[in-house]
Amino acid sequence: MNKNGILLEGVELYYSSVAFKERSLKSLLGNVLSSKRNKHAVHDVHALKNVSLEIKPGERVGLLGHNGAGKSTFLKMVAGLYPISTGHRAVTGTVRSLFDLSLGFEPDASGRENILYRGLLLGLSPRYMRNVETEIVEFADLGEFIDYPIKTYSAGMQVRLAFAISTMVGGDILLLDEVIGAGDANFMEKARRRIESLIEQSEILVLASHDFGSLRSLCERGLVFHHGEIVYDGKISQGIVEYKRINGLL
Amino acid sequence: MWTIIQPLGMTLLLSIVFSKIFHSDIRLYAPYILSGMIVWEFVTASSMGGALAFVQADAYIKQCTHPLAIYTLRTVCTNIIVLGLASLTLVVWVLVVMPQNFGWPWLAALSIFPILVLIVWPLATLLAYIATRFRDLPHALGLIFQAMWFVSPIYFESKTFRGGSLHGLVDYNPIYHLLEIVRAPLLHGQWPTATNYLFCIVTGAVLVVVAALMGIRSEKRVIFYL
Repeated sequence: MNKNGILLEGVELYYSSVAFKERSLKSLLGNVLSSKRNKHAVHDVHALKNVSLEIKPGERVGLLGHNGAGKSTFLKMVAGLYPISTGHRAVTGTVRSLFDLSLGFEPDASGRENILYRGLLLGLSPRYMRNVETEIVEFADLGEFIDYPIKTYSAGMQVRLAFAISTMVGGDILLLDEVIGAGDANFMEKARRRIESLIEQSEILVLASHDFGSLRSLCERGLVFHHGEIVYDGKISQGIVEYKRINGLL
Repeated sequence: MWTIIQPLGMTLLLSIVFSKIFHSDIRLYAPYILSGMIVWEFVTASSMGGALAFVQADAYIKQCTHPLAIYTLRTVCTNIIVLGLASLTLVVWVLVVMPQNFGWPWLAALSIFPILVLIVWPLATLLAYIATRFRDLPHALGLIFQAMWFVSPIYFESKTFRGGSLHGLVDYNPIYHLLEIVRAPLLHGQWPTATNYLFCIVTGAVLVVVAALMGIRSEKRVIFYL
């Protein structure tokens, strides 16, 4: 039997500096012609340093760390979006990730059409999407606006629709990155319940958050990131203490 | 609607001017221009649109791990539909003006669609990789395509090139052979030659290999450049 899990051995991840240096043919030619040395040289960013860990089925893992510590990079690496520079990464099971929800709408298409497009992107069949469409429409609760083009939506409405679609299907491994925090109070409550049911369905949860309350209630194991390194791996309550100590909050 | 009217209007304009300059018969010259225009329009629109495909699909690329070539395929598919619509005008025109050309060779003209996809899809994918790295590529592309247009028998008749010492621009030009797949059957009622197909398929194969190599090298890194 194929057991779901995440196994990482000595993973290093660099953001290559070329990506934010020469962005055009023009500047490339310019650099060849002018021999002037740039004083503020931009180096490759070492985003994850020697990360080794194993996450077994049934584990609920919370990620802690200051901004830029590597939490999101870690999640995107696990999801297979970012390539690792060295090391070994093995992820078994279907991965569902909720990162930046409001990305990826077709602004000219109506809400209903976007439900279908999103579903197809997630690899679902058109028939399945038609079946769950009413449920999504009901959850997003946008009234008549569901048949209006997305570009007429307010930011909050977009997030509601995106949330309703993205949380429709679960997976074995659920990766969450600070998605809670959209919509009005009424919707927040619904969203929280939906997330909780998704978490129950999934075998593995990895949650990056700054909200100690939800980390404590949802996770058992905590990972503390500091400048790309994992400095603590253990119980979440102790992890929160450790995180506060490192960042001088205690 | 505009996909049909736009090339048609342009053709009228150009054929009036060119037929005066080169003393050609406008009724026969106009379909020549139209065939060149709609195919060339497809190549440039797909390449330029394809070059921007990754940049525009950044939201999707950052969330899903699909093979990147589907984003350029999307552009190519859109343009194939446009080409299909625009080619209806050409077919009708030729049927009215040169009905004697109608016959079995017209089936060969249909092969232009798969051949165009074979050439343009890898080309667009290749350009998309480069354009993600160098964002000003589309500006350079505009110039390159204009140059290619100028040295190819797209609007100018191939005999204009052959007349001088420029016959190399016709005989070894994949664009000429590509257009010949449509022009030989529709405008002359003949089958395209094996050389025409050979040139097109070799061009396509080379582009597929180059794009595949580029993909193996850069597919994973694209996300950093978005």
